[in-house]
Amino acid sequence: MFRGKSKWLSVALAFFLYSGTFLIHAQEGETIFKAKCATCHQPHKDGTGPKLYEVRQKWENGGAKAGSLMQWVKNWQVAAANDAYAQTVSQWSPTAMSLFPDLTDEQITAVFDYVDAQPVPGAGAADAGAFAMTETSEQENNTGWIWYILAAVFVVIILSVGGVRRQLKMVNTNEEDRLSYSEELRQWAWVNKKYVGIGTLVIVLALIVTLFLQLYTIGVVTAYQPNQPIQFPHDIHAGKNGIDCKYCHNSVEKSKSAGIPTVNVCMNCHKQVQGNDDNQTAQISKIYAAAGFIPDGGGQYTGETANIVWNKVHALPDHVYFNHSQHVVVGGIDCKQCHGDMTKQNELPRVVPVEELNEIDGNIPLTRATLTMGWCIECHGAKEIANGPVLDKDRDEHKHGYYDEIHQRLMNNDKALYEKYLEDGKVTVKELGGWECAKCHY
Amino acid sequence: MKKNFKAISLYVAAVIAGVASLTSCISDADSPGLEYTPDMYRSPAIEPYVDYGEFRNKEHVELKSQQSAMRPPNYSIPFYGSDSAKVSMMLPYHRLASSAAAVSHGLNASEGWRLSDSLDVEYNKAKADKNPISLTADNKDAIFGKGKKLYTSMCAHCHGEKGNGEGPMVKSGAYAGVPNYKNLTELGDGQVFYSIYYGKGAMGAHAMLLNKEEIWTLVHYVNKFRFDGYGEEPVMEVEALDSTAMTETIVE
Repeated sequence: MFRGKSKWLSVALAFFLYSGTFLIHAQEGETIFKAKCATCHQPHKDGTGPKLYEVRQKWENGGAKAGSLMQWVKNWQVAAANDAYAQTVSQWSPTAMSLFPDLTDEQITAVFDYVDAQPVPGAGAADAGAFAMTETSEQENNTGWIWYILAAVFVVIILSVGGVRRQLKMVNTNEEDRLSYSEELRQWAWVNKKYVGIGTLVIVLALIVTLFLQLYTIGVVTAYQPNQPIQFPHDIHAGKNGIDCKYCHNSVEKSKSAGIPTVNVCMNCHKQVQGNDDNQTAQISKIYAAAGFIPDGGGQYTGETANIVWNKVHALPDHVYFNHSQHVVVGGIDCKQCHGDMTKQNELPRVVPVEELNEIDGNIPLTRATLTMGWCIECHGAKEIANGPVLDKDRDEHKHGYYDEIHQRLMNNDKALYEKYLEDGKVTVKELGGWECAKCHY
Repeated sequence: MKKNFKAISLYVAAVIAGVASLTSCISDADSPGLEYTPDMYRSPAIEPYVDYGEFRNKEHVELKSQQSAMRPPNYSIPFYGSDSAKVSMMLPYHRLASSAAAVSHGLNASEGWRLSDSLDVEYNKAKADKNPISLTADNKDAIFGKGKKLYTSMCAHCHGEKGNGEGPMVKSGAYAGVPNYKNLTELGDGQVFYSIYYGKGAMGAHAMLLNKEEIWTLVHYVNKFRFDGYGEEPVMEVEALDSTAMTETIVE
């Protein structure tokens, strides 16, 4: 009785200990894998290093010597020298694996156990980053033509009724009393001259106003949304994946132009991110073609590069000087003030209309069309420079920089003018010469 | 009678023509439309990202679809002022890339990259390299501030705001295998620089995105993640000195 009980107890204890050590074992494997291996190896996908799922099985099937794999993890050079299979594995990629002489056999086994326990990703679950490029040109109102046909039908009806009435009237009058259309019109206009006069005035004024409104739209491109060589979804990159605008458009703080990212910037992520569905893979393969990259296996560059020719969307005429770094670094303007919220943009790039820009939080509300001179100077008249980088403690190079100097000069040279500027409680770009012609035109 | 009938059909024709002209105003998203003073959009002074294939009514086949944003010539050094410390920091990096860098990171010799003969000799040598920007009590706030700005826009999407390797890219499931800086304590400052400059493993080279001063600033900032309390004590590297020496350096 007692003996039986102790036997059961010891079994239970053994089981408890075993499961405990197993848990610790798995946890250790995960910790080591994440700390030391995951940078290059993934369980199910080749990366900088080959995938590790069931790698022990693979080596055994490949005819590797026993213990060779353990040796490889600790010091691959020793393993490659002693084992033919390890030698072939060392040819897999030109990059060298790091040495891990400190890992024990138990720890390596724990890592492999952890990797083998990772579930194989299901075939149906691969829709994580599916994106839909909306073709805006096809979204145009397709029922519009019905109204044109209806209008045409009504016009025809009105004209026919009028014609019939006139025919009937002519039957009743004498041959010489019959009037031509123009005579009839003149007669009618003379009778109703008050209304005709007012009507004509209104029409002429409307035409003049329309003419000027039309002149304002010269150079305003609203419907320009050209196809691009690669369907690039801004919302996935800047929104979902949280990449800062400045990472790809990285000359924005240093240069006049914000810069289109070069292919090597794309490759910084797309070396690993190869697409979850056919459309994504097709788009990303265009980057590979340009970079001269073969994604198979661990991925290798061939050195045969090509250009990606993007279509320029934002164009300013040659007589305007615009500098991104001036606005972003010195002015402290956020990208969204002019380009809209790109973290939500999944259509092709376009010049965002001013109405949409005004809806964004934190933007200075403007009225003129985007990229027109009215729009620029409106903003120069509204943008306060006191909230700019002068107060930005992180930017030590501006703490006592340009704007402080200007404030000082204003105070010293013309105190009355400075106080006039401050009447509305703020100093704007305009008051520092932002409306001078030569600020942008020279 | 016949004449009147003709007049009516003239009106109808006019209406139909009007309707047709109105409906023909369907926009083409691929075309910017008619340009008023078109030459103004293609500057005679070469501007980046402008296609000069067709310019002033002349076709230039050799310029069509060509890069207009060009790289500076190899080994050219921008003007960084007259401060010799800064200029020498900006001189081209003396460590060569790994011999495999052309294949693994696309750093082709034809584009001006200098590759060494060995896989990792240069990387191992870099362990001894010192950060030319020295951290003092006076400048550390400015350096960490600058570093934080750079880190947020250039690194944080993968490496995470806290340097734990869990940036939004990793959290969204798009990317995997970003290390936690806490686990990279055995790297030397120079090796961190080397890895940012030439890329390491899955990470690409960032030499084109950051200049050397910016990378060394980032090395300081990243060290804050790697070592607890980095930069908080006034002097980091003179632990072996006696207490009087310590106070002297603090006063400085």
